[in-house]
Amino acid sequence: MIAELFYRRQALILGTLSMVGLVVLWQIAVDGGFINPFFISTPSQVWAEFVVQFEDGQVAANVGATLYCFAWSMGLATVAGILLGMLAGWFSDVEAALEPFIWFKYSAPTVAFYPLFVAWLGYGTPTIIAIAFLFALTPIYANTLSGIKNTDRDLARAARSFGAKPYDIFFRVALPGSVPVMMAGLRLGVGRALTGVVVAELFGANAGLGYAITYYGQLMQTTRMMVSIVIVILLGVILTQILSFLESKTDSWRTDTGR
Amino acid sequence: MAQIEIRDLGIDYRKPKSDEVFSAVDGVALSVEKGEFVTIVGSSGCGKSTLLMAVAGLVALSRGSIRIDGKDVTGPGPDRAVVFQEASLLPWRSVRGNVKFGLEMQRWSGGNLDEQAMQMIRLVGLGRFSDYQPHQLSGGMRQRVNIARALAVDPEVLLMDEPFGALDAQTREIMGTELLRIWERDKKTALFVTHDIDEAIFLADKIVVMGRNPGHIKEVIKVDLPRPRDEEVLDSEDFHNLRKRLRAHLAEDMSSMQLVQEVA
Ligand SMILES: Nc1ncnc2c1ncn2[C@@H]1O[C@H](COP(=O)(O)OP(=O)(O)O)[C@@H](O)[C@H]1O
Ligand SMILES: [Mg+2]
Repeated sequence: MIAELFYRRQALILGTLSMVGLVVLWQIAVDGGFINPFFISTPSQVWAEFVVQFEDGQVAANVGATLYCFAWSMGLATVAGILLGMLAGWFSDVEAALEPFIWFKYSAPTVAFYPLFVAWLGYGTPTIIAIAFLFALTPIYANTLSGIKNTDRDLARAARSFGAKPYDIFFRVALPGSVPVMMAGLRLGVGRALTGVVVAELFGANAGLGYAITYYGQLMQTTRMMVSIVIVILLGVILTQILSFLESKTDSWRTDTGR
Repeated sequence: MAQIEIRDLGIDYRKPKSDEVFSAVDGVALSVEKGEFVTIVGSSGCGKSTLLMAVAGLVALSRGSIRIDGKDVTGPGPDRAVVFQEASLLPWRSVRGNVKFGLEMQRWSGGNLDEQAMQMIRLVGLGRFSDYQPHQLSGGMRQRVNIARALAVDPEVLLMDEPFGALDAQTREIMGTELLRIWERDKKTALFVTHDIDEAIFLADKIVVMGRNPGHIKEVIKVDLPRPRDEEVLDSEDFHNLRKRLRAHLAEDMSSMQLVQEVA
């Protein structure tokens, strides 16, 4: 019974164990005097500081600011990425026209545009949203494009044999068939959007987790800084897990080979 | 007048990455009467699918003409329905959803879609499985869905491209018998491509034997075995004679194919 449960949840259990192990090791390494707590703090101190920051409202303010920018950037990237991806996947001319921008984005680090956005939009929220938008856009666009473009030819032909028009093939065959790969793009996009927000906040913001990390970092207050770092990690894990869950809901017909 | 009239049919494909064309089917003439079950046999690559897809209106003709009930085929139409070899079912739709798909594409207005679909699903023996997803079905069951989808639109002509080609021998035999049972109901005109000799004889009123380079019709063989048929005909003397004749044809084709390969 227990053995069976273990095998079914093996990945989850092993992953949890290794995380717990890391935290314990972290605590021991500092308590045992192997590492100076100044560099890395300790789990117990971080927890205590978390409670303090939680009670004085810093956590809510920073998480709120970060999530606000995240939601806007992810929302815009989802709409733009899916629309552009659908157009480019269906019309090869659109794909060819957009190709240089994609190469541009792959070869140049997105943060390099930061000063440009500051010049256009000023320091703060709009610039953060713009940077995170660019971070998240590529995987959403690329996955939507490949989903539509790689529409199963046999299915399209079967549809045509029943008199389907191009319009039908797009909406009834290509689009539903692309949902799983689009969801995978959104999952990648979520991680990228969060990274984009935090990175942009590191450079210039007056609220947010990235802002808190730089602020306490510059004051050399490691424990206070670690609180925000840990929250960023947890947020990333939670958001990505939510998307993974939705993804598995949409592509059961692809992964489940039936029994 | 025959229901399907094919005259001087030629179909060329463009070779990939060049302007050269290559003739997949040439000089094909065939007429099929209403209610006739015609099977098409021949070694692989001799243009069986190409011929069938041309009748379906899914490939463009290079020469000649195809007429159905006197009208030129210029594209797919509600008078024809195709059963493909590959389980070309939408993996995200249930059995019922897939059977409804053809009706939806044709903007069918003959009544309740669900009822029509369910009737066909029951006809092919999948009544209990109407809510299953394709990936939960066996290969034979998936092809039953494919047949139900084609029958649902109530076509004049049923076109089948090796629908049982991917099934094991036993399932294939069962499916053949089932198909005849369903066909006996209203005897729709049928074109059925296969490379299985027994299947070709068992189903047919008329067998079209094709040869290659380019794809052409070598012979048309009448089959006068009594209907309705069951597995017993497989042991009859007429069946044996037909089988021998077809074997000889295909063996000829195989040896000429080997020669070509040796030369090349
Ligand atoms: N879409 C296509 N483009 C180019 N050549 C094709 C295409 N489809 C089939 N062919 C070629 O045409 C010939 C006949 O193919 P096909 O009709 O599929 O034969 P069969 O169904 O008898 O195996 C083969 O040589 C095949 O390679
Ligand atoms: Mg074929």
